[in-house]
Amino acid sequence: MNFFNFFENDFLVVFPELFIATVIIFLLSYGVIFSTSEYYKSPALAVNVSWLSFFTLGIALLLCINNSSSSMIIFNNMLIINPFTTLIKAFILLSSMACILISMNYLDYQRINTFEYSLLILLSVLGMLCLVSTYDLLSLYLAVELMSLSFYILAAYKRNSEFSGEAGLKYFILGAFSSGLLLFGSSILYGFTGMTNFEDIAKLLLGLGTISDPLSYNGIVIGILFVSIALLFKVAAAPFHMWSPDVYEGSPTPVTAFFSSVPKVALLALYLRLFFYTFYDFIAVWQDLLLLCAMISMVWGSIAALSQTRIKRLMAYSGIVNVGYMLIGIASGTITSVVGLLVYLFIYVVMTIGFFSFILGTQNYKTKGLNVYLLDLTNLGKTNIVLGLAVSLILFSMIGLPPLAGFFGKMYLFFAAMNSNLYTVAILGVMSSVVAAFYYIRLIKLMFFEMSSKRFTLYKQMDQVNAYVLSISLFLLLIFFVSSDALLLSCHRIGLFLFL
Amino acid sequence: MFQFPSILLSLITLPLLAILVILVIPETRSELVKGVSLWTSIIVFLISLFLWLSFDLSTPKYQFVEPFFSVPYSNINVFIGVDGISLFFVILTTFLIPLCLLASWDSIKFSIKEYNIAFLLMGSLLICVFTVLDVLFFYIFFEAILIPMFLVIGIWGSRERKIRASLQFFVYTLVGSVLMLLAILTIYAQTGTTDIQVLQTLSFSQELQIVFWLAFFASFAVKVPMLPVHLWLPEAHSEAPTAGSVILAGILLKMGGYGFLRFSIPIFPDASIYFTPLVYTLSAIAVIYTSLTTLRQVDMKRLIAYSSVAHMGFVTIGMFTMNIQGIEGSIFLMLSHGIVSSALFLCVGVVYDRHKTRIINYYSGLTVAMPVYSLIFLFFILANMGLPGTSSFVSEFMVLAGAFKSNIFITVLIATGGVWGAAYSLWLYNRTAFGNIRLTYITNFQDIDRREFFVFLPCVILVLVMGIYPEVFLNVMHASVQNLVEQVQ
Repeated sequence: MNFFNFFENDFLVVFPELFIATVIIFLLSYGVIFSTSEYYKSPALAVNVSWLSFFTLGIALLLCINNSSSSMIIFNNMLIINPFTTLIKAFILLSSMACILISMNYLDYQRINTFEYSLLILLSVLGMLCLVSTYDLLSLYLAVELMSLSFYILAAYKRNSEFSGEAGLKYFILGAFSSGLLLFGSSILYGFTGMTNFEDIAKLLLGLGTISDPLSYNGIVIGILFVSIALLFKVAAAPFHMWSPDVYEGSPTPVTAFFSSVPKVALLALYLRLFFYTFYDFIAVWQDLLLLCAMISMVWGSIAALSQTRIKRLMAYSGIVNVGYMLIGIASGTITSVVGLLVYLFIYVVMTIGFFSFILGTQNYKTKGLNVYLLDLTNLGKTNIVLGLAVSLILFSMIGLPPLAGFFGKMYLFFAAMNSNLYTVAILGVMSSVVAAFYYIRLIKLMFFEMSSKRFTLYKQMDQVNAYVLSISLFLLLIFFVSSDALLLSCHRIGLFLFL
Repeated sequence: MFQFPSILLSLITLPLLAILVILVIPETRSELVKGVSLWTSIIVFLISLFLWLSFDLSTPKYQFVEPFFSVPYSNINVFIGVDGISLFFVILTTFLIPLCLLASWDSIKFSIKEYNIAFLLMGSLLICVFTVLDVLFFYIFFEAILIPMFLVIGIWGSRERKIRASLQFFVYTLVGSVLMLLAILTIYAQTGTTDIQVLQTLSFSQELQIVFWLAFFASFAVKVPMLPVHLWLPEAHSEAPTAGSVILAGILLKMGGYGFLRFSIPIFPDASIYFTPLVYTLSAIAVIYTSLTTLRQVDMKRLIAYSSVAHMGFVTIGMFTMNIQGIEGSIFLMLSHGIVSSALFLCVGVVYDRHKTRIINYYSGLTVAMPVYSLIFLFFILANMGLPGTSSFVSEFMVLAGAFKSNIFITVLIATGGVWGAAYSLWLYNRTAFGNIRLTYITNFQDIDRREFFVFLPCVILVLVMGIYPEVFLNVMHASVQNLVEQVQ
C-alpha cells in the first residue's frame, strides 16, 4: 500500500501544520537567497519576512477554523483533532500573529536585520500546534522539543547582548533538564503499562486504583509525577520557576512578550488533555501536586515581584502568579474549572499582549531603547494621558478589579475552586491577588501620582501597529463585561469536547 | 401617579452617554465639558425625584424593577429596583454629584475632562450599587468604584501624602472585599443563584451564616468604617480633592451601611443577632475613641473625617438594634450625615481654595472677614453636633431610642457621643471663626461667591426640612424596614 494513500485523510486534517511547515522551508530559501544577494545589495529582510509570516499564520488560521473534519484521531493514534484542539489552535495562531505584529517596530529600530526571527516563531508555533493535538507520549515529547528548541534560539537571538546569550543558555540547560524528566517519566509509564497512547493509558488507569498491585501502581504514580513536574518546569510554576525571571529579562523584549503569552496556552491545553483525560483517574495523585505548586506560585510570585525594579522581571513574576491561578483551574478538576481556565487564559493572553504592545511600541527619546526600569514610566500620565489611562486600565485588569475582564477570569477560577471545595487555595489565591495589587498599583502610582514633574521620560510617537494592538486588547478587556456570551459559549463547548 | 417605564435605567445610562459626549469634546473647551457634565447630573437628579414622587408607600416590595443584565450559563439574571431602604441612597447620590461638580468648578486646573468623566462614572456606578438586586453584581459595582476614586485621590489630591492615602484606600478596600467575593461565590455554588430576592427567602445553617456574615463584615466594616480598620478614612478624606471628600463621606461610606441592611441582616439574620455584641462594642469604642481623637487634630479635614467615623458608629449600632426606630434612625442618620459632612467638607474646601491650607491654626477670626461663610459654617457645625431642629438631632435621637430598647448600657455610652460631638465641633468653629484675624499668615479675604452660595443653599434647606419634618422621609422607609425587622424575628 502506498504510504501517502495510507494517510490520505490524515494529511487533510493537519493542513494548517503542513502549510506552516512548507512555508517555513520556502521562506528560509527566500531569505537565504535574497539577503545574501549582491544584486539586491543584501537587503535586511527581518520586517519583510515578519509580514510574510504574519500572513502565513493568518492563512493557517483560516485553514484551521475551516477544518475538513471536526473530530479525528490520526497518524496511528499519534495526534487527535477535535473542536477543542481546533479552537485552541486558532487562539494560538491569533496570539502569535499579534506577537509578530508588535515586534516589528522593535526589529526595525534595534537593527535586528536577520530574517530568522519570525521563522523561529513559526517553527515554535508549529511545535505548539502539534503539542495541542498530541495523543501519544512519543508525539508529546517530539512536539515539546520542537517548541522548546526554537525557544532556546529565540531567547539567545540578540547575538551581541550578553544578557541574551545568558538567557538562552539558562533556558537551554533547564529546558533540557526538564525534557529529560519528561522522557524519563514517559519511559517509566511505558515500562509499567507497556503503552504510550493516551487513550490506552486512560483505559488502563480507569480501574487501576482498586487493583492491589502496589508495584505497578507506584510505578505509574512516579511516572505521572515525573511527567507533571517536567511540564510544570515548562510553564514556570514555582518551585520550578527559577529560569523564568532571568530568561524573561535577558531575552529580547518581543521574545519575552511571546514567551509570556502563547506557550502558556499550548501547555495548559496539553495539561487539560493529560490531566482531564489520560490521568484523570489518578486525580488524587496529581491534584495535590498541582495545588501545592499553585499555592507556592501565587505566594512566591506575588511576594518576589514586590522588590523588582525592571519591567520584564516584574512581568515574569506576574506570569508566575498567573500560572498559579491557572493551576487552580486544572486542580479543581471539573467542567466548571475548564471553562474558568479557558476564559482566564484568553484574558491573560489579551492583557499580556496589550501590556507588551505598549512596552514595545514606546521608544525612549534619549536612550533610543525601550523602557527597562519601572521608573521609566514616571509621569506617563502627564505626558500622554490617553496612553497612561489605557495602560493603567490594563494594569487594573491584571489586578482583577471589576468590571474589567481580569476580574471575571479570576472569578470563574475561584468559583470553580469553591465548587470543588478547595477553600484554602481560594483564600490564598485572593489574598495573593491583593499582594499582587501592590506592584501593579506601583506602576499606576508612578505614572499618575508623581508630584514633581521634573522626572519624566520623553517617548517617540508610539508605533501605529502597536497602538492598534493595544487598543484592540483594551477594547476586548472593556467589552467583556457587556458581552461575554460568545467567549463563554465557545469555552463551554470546547470544554465539553475535552471530556467526550 | 404616573410611572416611567425605565426610570432607573435612564439614571444609570444618562451619565454614561454624557461621558461619550465629553470624550469627543476637545480638551481646550473646558467650560463646555463642565457644562455638559453639570447639566447631565442635574437632569439625572430631577429624574431621580420622580422615583420618590411615584413611590408606592404601602409595599415593602422592590419597585421600578426591570431587567438589567444576564450572564449566559449561570442562572444569573440581574434586576434593578428600589425599595424604601435604597430609594434615598439613590437620591442622595444624584443630589451630591452636581454639588461635587459645582464645588470643584474652578479649583481643578488640569485634566478637567478626565475629572468630570470620573465623577459622572462614579455617579452611574453608585446608582448601580444601590439599585442592583444581585449580590455578585453588587460586589462588581462596589469594587468598580475603586478605580475612579483611587485615581481621583491620587491625581487631583493636593499633597505628597495623597499617594499614601490613595494606596491605603485601595488596599484596605480590596483586602476586605475579596473575602466577600469568596463568600458570594460559595453562596452561588451552594444555592445556584445570587439574586437577593431569592436569597432572602432561603435560610442557611447557622455555621454557614456565621462564616458568610464574617466575610461580608470584612468588606462592609472597612467601608463603613468600623474601628480597627478605619485608618484609611482620615487619610483618604483629607488628601482627596474637596469633591472627592464629599463623595467619600457622602456616599461611599454609606455603601457599607447599605450592605449591612441589604445583605448581612436579611440574608444572615441568625448570625446578625449572634454578632450584635461585636458590632455594639466596636461601634461604641468608635464613637468615644474617634470623638476624642478629633480633639487633637490640626487638619480641618481630618477632624471632620474622624467625626464621620464617630457618626458611622451610631449608624452601625442603630442597624443592629433590629427594631424599627433603630434601623430607620440609622438610615436617616446616613442621609443626614451624607449632607452635613459633605457640606462641612465643602466649607473646608472654600477656605482651602482661597488660602491653600487646612491647618486650623492658620485661621482665626473668619467671622470678621467672611460673615456669610461663617454663618453657613456655624449652621453645619451645629447640625454636625446634633442640634435640635437639624436632621442629625432627629436621627441620633431615633438611634438612641432604638438602642435603648435593645441595650441600655451601650445607649448610655454612645449618648456621651453627643457631648464629645459638641466639644470638637464647637472647638473647631471657635478656633477658626472667632478671635482676631491673623494677618501674619493670611492677608486677603473674600467671602463666598454666588456659585458657592448655591452649592450650600440646597444643603441648608434639606438639613432644616429633615430636622423639622422628618416624616416626609421616614414614611417611605416604614414598609421596607417593617419587613426587614419581621424577617429577622
